[in-house]
Amino acid sequence: MLGRIFTPSLIYATIRSATPILYAALCASITQQANILNIGTEGIMLMGAFFGVAVSYLTGSWLLAVLVAMASGAAMAMIIAVGHIKYQADNCAIGMGVNLFAVAMTKFLLNSVLGKNGTFTDPNLAGIPKLHFGFLSGDGFLNTVLNDWSITEWFVIALVLLISFLFYKTAWGLRLRAVGRMQQAAQTAGINVNSMKYQAILIAGLIGGLAGAHLSLGYSKMFTESMTNGRGFMGVAAMYFGAANPLLTAVGCLVFGLADSVGARLQPFGVPSQVILLMPYVVTVTVLAISLIIDKKRRDARKSSLVSAGVK
Amino acid sequence: MKKLVSLLIVLVLALGLVSAACAEEPVKVCIVFSGLLGDKSYNDSCMEGANRAVEDFGIELKTLEGTEATEWEQNFLFACEEGYDLVICSSSNFEEYMKEHCANYPDVKFAIIDTTVPGDNICSISFAQNQGSFLAGACAALLTQHTEIPGINEDKIIGWVGGMDIPVLHDFFVGYEQGAKYIDPDIQVLQSFAGTWVDPLKGKELTLSQYDLGADVVMNVASGTGNGVLEGAKEAGHFAIGVDLNQDADQPGAVFTSMVKRVDTACYLLIESVVKDTFAGGTTEYLDLAKGGVSLTDMAVIREALGDQFPEDIPEKIAELNDKIVSGEIVVENYEGFGPAK
Repeated sequence: MLGRIFTPSLIYATIRSATPILYAALCASITQQANILNIGTEGIMLMGAFFGVAVSYLTGSWLLAVLVAMASGAAMAMIIAVGHIKYQADNCAIGMGVNLFAVAMTKFLLNSVLGKNGTFTDPNLAGIPKLHFGFLSGDGFLNTVLNDWSITEWFVIALVLLISFLFYKTAWGLRLRAVGRMQQAAQTAGINVNSMKYQAILIAGLIGGLAGAHLSLGYSKMFTESMTNGRGFMGVAAMYFGAANPLLTAVGCLVFGLADSVGARLQPFGVPSQVILLMPYVVTVTVLAISLIIDKKRRDARKSSLVSAGVK
Repeated sequence: MKKLVSLLIVLVLALGLVSAACAEEPVKVCIVFSGLLGDKSYNDSCMEGANRAVEDFGIELKTLEGTEATEWEQNFLFACEEGYDLVICSSSNFEEYMKEHCANYPDVKFAIIDTTVPGDNICSISFAQNQGSFLAGACAALLTQHTEIPGINEDKIIGWVGGMDIPVLHDFFVGYEQGAKYIDPDIQVLQSFAGTWVDPLKGKELTLSQYDLGADVVMNVASGTGNGVLEGAKEAGHFAIGVDLNQDADQPGAVFTSMVKRVDTACYLLIESVVKDTFAGGTTEYLDLAKGGVSLTDMAVIREALGDQFPEDIPEKIAELNDKIVSGEIVVENYEGFGPAK
């Protein structure tokens, strides 16, 4: 049975299920670096998913669709930004507001723009292309593992590296983290705190929109009401697991993806579906607990060294 | 002057009351859904029947959708309170709420589709989905033997993806498995549940994993989640079987046939019974293969897509099995608690 579950195809399946969560997690981690909890990831994604499908259907261009989806994500993010920065609204409240707004708004637009209820699919929908490398086709293993990824699945890897670089190797990243770590100090150092926060939320919105477009045009070619189904929240959890570090966050997402894919393969062997469907959530709680314990240990260690240094 | 105006107003209002009382009130019907409309499956089928009734009888129709259990109960109670003549619960997800609340609203007529709920003011209509699924299972088992068709492998494995793990879906599965084993006792049937009616991506992932495990035909019984099953079939170059509505053309060339369940007929009959005042509480209706409640599609879409490769023996065999079930020669098993009323 194990031999049938752990096949080469499981590798791509893991990446396939992890990618939407990873985009969401990156969306959440950028704002988290500026100490803004982005609960609205789910809503930003959903909006992106809708605009991706709508523009792809109306124009036939997947690239334009992805760009508009990113813009719509940014627009949603701006609601959060203005509410939070200008009017000092609570993050969680405004994030939930954005999520609920996105559910209702996409439902309304689906009906009024595309004239459908519930689900929209159309053969003319231009999806994000899948890359097929001819030279890999010869090798059975490589063909299963690396061929036919959609462009956005490759792009997310680049994005993780790019954002890591941005956070830890550029002045912009340093300023962003300074704003998140201690706002007053950053301000004293001459950093425009509000501008940094706006920038962080704007970029998060662009990535969130892309996450949505990947969901509706890359992962599948359809839009369904509430199609994010908690993937934005899973992303936020993965962000916590990685303490907003893109590389660690990516590891967290792959763990989720693996749990999901193994679960999907276990079900047909008679494992009760309820147990399997519980797995991603059990993994979420476990992973969060472990990361919090490690974090606490690290903080304790730092504290004791400071204390002992004081004694000397 | 003031007096005159107020007198006039009173007169107008009184007239309004009288005329309102004289005009015949249309029958008010409310349908509560567990899931969303636009699923191109179960819920849409139900809505088709309701729309036909609106055209034929001029009833006043209200629909309430919800994706989660908390919303379902809320919607259901709203429908109870609002003074509708008939409240139709579209699926067995409402069973518990009906058992709890229906007795408190003796003047409201209730109906449930897809399961049986006892009660003096409740009419239940259910389907022999096991019989329809038997045919679908047989069809899948026949198809997986046609290895000359692209997308069909050597393995004798077929799949089945369900939405939520509820009893009525097991009634589907029991028939599906029996039908498949009737054709080939060695066949293996994979079963997965998505745990939701509204997540096509989950449905797609489950389907692709069943293909990885060697299945080449997967039946969906999953409302909105099922759209992902059909898409997965198209993308992987294998086959799927549709459900509830005729889904053959949703992903042309990938959906071999659909097990049509006439939810629309059930909904229409229920509304008709209230309009014509023949509604009988405490009764159950069982729509089986013989009554046309369930059936397979004519496979026209896939016949065109496959051209010469279309296996003509499958529809012939299905027609033969259909007759055997109707005549009682083949008895399709039921999941516990389903089947015709005894």
